[in-house]
Amino acid sequence: MEPRVDLKEMMKEKARAVQSIVAEIGSLEEALRYAIDLTRSQGGTHLAAPGLDKRDPAAWSLFRSLCKESGISLVKENLRAVIGKLHTGFTVADYAIAETATLVQDSSSEDLRIATMLSEIHVAILPASRIVFDAMSLDSELKGYMTSPPSYVAFISGASRTADIERVLTIGVHGPQELHILILNEDRA
Amino acid sequence: MITTPHDVKEYRGRLKKALKNEFLGTTLDNFATAYRTSRANAFEGIDLEGLIQQIAAAKDASIPYLEELFALFKTQAEKAGVTVHVARTAAEANEIISSIAKAAGARRIVKGKSMTAEETFLNAHLEKEGYQVTETDLGEWIIQLRHEGPSHMVMPAIHLSRRQVAELFTRVTGQYQDPDDINGMVKVARRELRQAYLQADMGITGANFAIAETGSIGLVTNEGNGRLVTTLPRVHVALLGFDKLVPDLKSALRILKVLPRNATGQAISTYVTWITGANECATGPHGRKEMHIVFLDNGRLSLARDPVFAQALRCVRCGACANVCPIYKLVGGHNYGHVYIGAIGLILTYFFHGHDNARAIIKNCLNCQACKSVCPTGIDLPHLIKEVYRTVLESEGKKPVRNVLLSRALKDRRLFHFLLRRAYLAQKPLAGEDRLMRHLPMFLAREHAFRTLPAVAKRPLRDIWEHINPRLQKPRYRVALFGGCLIDFVYPEQAEALLRLSEEHNVQIEYPMDQSCCGLPAKMLGERETAKEVALQNLKAIDPAAYDYILTLCASCGSHLRENYAKLLAGEVGLQVKMQQFKDKVIDFSSFMQNVLQVNSERFAQNYKKVAYHSPCHLCRGLQVIREPRELMQTAGLDYVPARDEDVCCGFGGSFSLDFPEISAELLKRKLDNVEATGAEVLVTDCPGCVLQLRGGMDKKGTGKIEVKHIAELVADNLKKRKA
Repeated sequence: MEPRVDLKEMMKEKARAVQSIVAEIGSLEEALRYAIDLTRSQGGTHLAAPGLDKRDPAAWSLFRSLCKESGISLVKENLRAVIGKLHTGFTVADYAIAETATLVQDSSSEDLRIATMLSEIHVAILPASRIVFDAMSLDSELKGYMTSPPSYVAFISGASRTADIERVLTIGVHGPQELHILILNEDRA
Repeated sequence: MITTPHDVKEYRGRLKKALKNEFLGTTLDNFATAYRTSRANAFEGIDLEGLIQQIAAAKDASIPYLEELFALFKTQAEKAGVTVHVARTAAEANEIISSIAKAAGARRIVKGKSMTAEETFLNAHLEKEGYQVTETDLGEWIIQLRHEGPSHMVMPAIHLSRRQVAELFTRVTGQYQDPDDINGMVKVARRELRQAYLQADMGITGANFAIAETGSIGLVTNEGNGRLVTTLPRVHVALLGFDKLVPDLKSALRILKVLPRNATGQAISTYVTWITGANECATGPHGRKEMHIVFLDNGRLSLARDPVFAQALRCVRCGACANVCPIYKLVGGHNYGHVYIGAIGLILTYFFHGHDNARAIIKNCLNCQACKSVCPTGIDLPHLIKEVYRTVLESEGKKPVRNVLLSRALKDRRLFHFLLRRAYLAQKPLAGEDRLMRHLPMFLAREHAFRTLPAVAKRPLRDIWEHINPRLQKPRYRVALFGGCLIDFVYPEQAEALLRLSEEHNVQIEYPMDQSCCGLPAKMLGERETAKEVALQNLKAIDPAAYDYILTLCASCGSHLRENYAKLLAGEVGLQVKMQQFKDKVIDFSSFMQNVLQVNSERFAQNYKKVAYHSPCHLCRGLQVIREPRELMQTAGLDYVPARDEDVCCGFGGSFSLDFPEISAELLKRKLDNVEATGAEVLVTDCPGCVLQLRGGMDKKGTGKIEVKHIAELVADNLKKRKA
């Protein structure tokens, strides 16, 4: 059995255990449509995808036209100005840790942070090849960020949660109320 | 405002009040039960013991070099645009932070949860200086609004009910809040605090890690408030203790592997944030965050050099020592610590918040070892608590009469045993036919009446030994019995039971007559010197080379002999070999029967008597014997029925039960209720101290009493009669 398959399954299982919503997708376009549909169905108007234009210009222009069709405002920068309107933060995870269903994101960009902290929901694409077993396996990658400061690296393992009132688990206290992880199977893309 | 009683009398008043708080009792009990399961699940498939050893070793390796690690951290962080400060005292930390706020022209401050800021009472200082400070962790916000301190290091508002929170939020928002709509109340915090983040000029957080090699800090949170506090305001100040320094990322990741699992039973907390340098911030100077990191000493650097207490700096603030503490479970964190809560709280209070605040609370420890058994960094918490107690007593100069008397008596075995014999005569008018004290001696007040005390035996074990101990021709083993005070002077019949079994299995037991008290009572009272002298006496009395095993029927003696003698006698020239041999030969009754003799069920009448078991603290955690007594009951033809919380302390704790009778009584009550729920006919345990407590409590219950026995007695009773 190929270990990568295992990691993906583990990631999915552990993610569900912490109330993350996981789906497998075959193409980036599928992810874009997923984010748009979700935003619309929840009555959102603003979708933020900071950094996507630089990461993947083709995807960005496709996203723009899809959003336009759907009447959704797509923003990529100066997110402080739209705090309060943001419904969906759309990002691409740099890595993921299967053992704890953790997304690892270089969040040195403030806009990326705002998109993942102050949106109502967070949709993240996770390329399947980026899943590792545990945090230790990312030691050199993480050190890479830390030795080229400034850097702000986020481990995100689910939606924001608290149990501070009578230990009742409640999702969505300060950060996003939902985390959607879209595992991108590149080999099929 | 946190006020911690400075004397035991006032403290006991508070404890009594807390014991009447039904909500607290139920909540913390449910929590303790749920925690056990979720922790076990979280660590499934992980070599926890190995991990604990690695973390402890890594921590111990860096603790002597905190200043060097700090120097490296400072260089790296400053290169990345951070200003690094050192605060020698709590007041200095507060001053540094208010000066930063002043220089930055900040007015509004948002805070992430930080125990270090609680330690320095930072909020009170900043508010006095005119800053508006808002806690953003939900639990911290709640207690800030109520002007309280946290009652748990991880769940600061665990002492409050949904009703209390709803009343508070109704007042804060001016709108009715439904206590049963917890989600709705959480959303109140989401709305209210969102504004605070957006308006704040400065964010203050703690940090779980300071990574020296890169100058990074790591923050572990669930709510996401830590991310907002470090992102939205233009200034970020992190306040952390020197003890948070780790050499490298690997060390931090290793701790991260245990911290959330041990704290809340989560595989990982929802958000872990690694910040290196002054990051992008649209509202900051030149589009960068103004970032400061304040390292707090407040005694830590001297603590790092202390040969006994340095290990307290291993603590990663997971809060687990409170979660499993049977006393915390009854009285809550506001009565079990000052700022820091739980076992580590009792210790740190002395160092960070002073003698007066530690004086009363430090006595409130059963030495049940529950905390030690879950500490993810392997801190010997009960030992450190007793060491703090000793330090407190010594610095007060005048010792309690009890300490003086006990030390005087224990240092002279003949005097001690003379006094015990005299006790038999003195108690005569008070004792009943059933060898229980039917009247309490005058010096014990009514609150001690929750259990009947046993009478001292007419003839101690040592006096009848030669008559009851059969001489065997060719024994399989020669075994020294370490009696301990209770077996020798109160319950010699428990040793007689052992002799019936040993004869049957061809084992020669000896009772070296110069043995004395094991010394644990002295340690419990902080009398280390006395404990050491007694240890030396016993080591002289029982030459390990002369016996195959040193057997004890008392779990407390056993674990003290095995664990503490090494600590007490460390450095004694010429004794280390004997001590090691002694330690290696100490064995408890059940392990001896089950593992050494491998007793056969054919020797026992299989009468399937329904038996409940109480697992003594010093057996299951002290000696880590768990399987053997349970198997032995089955071998001996008994029907063992598990009870809830079998391994939770019965509340005896030696002199503890005299100091805090209310706590002892409540623990005993819960224990007996759990035993009764099993429907067992007999309750057995492996420790005469527990027998004393449980039998005494059962006697007071009146109706439906369950017989309480030492496991040796019941097993011996089930021996098949030999053919005549």
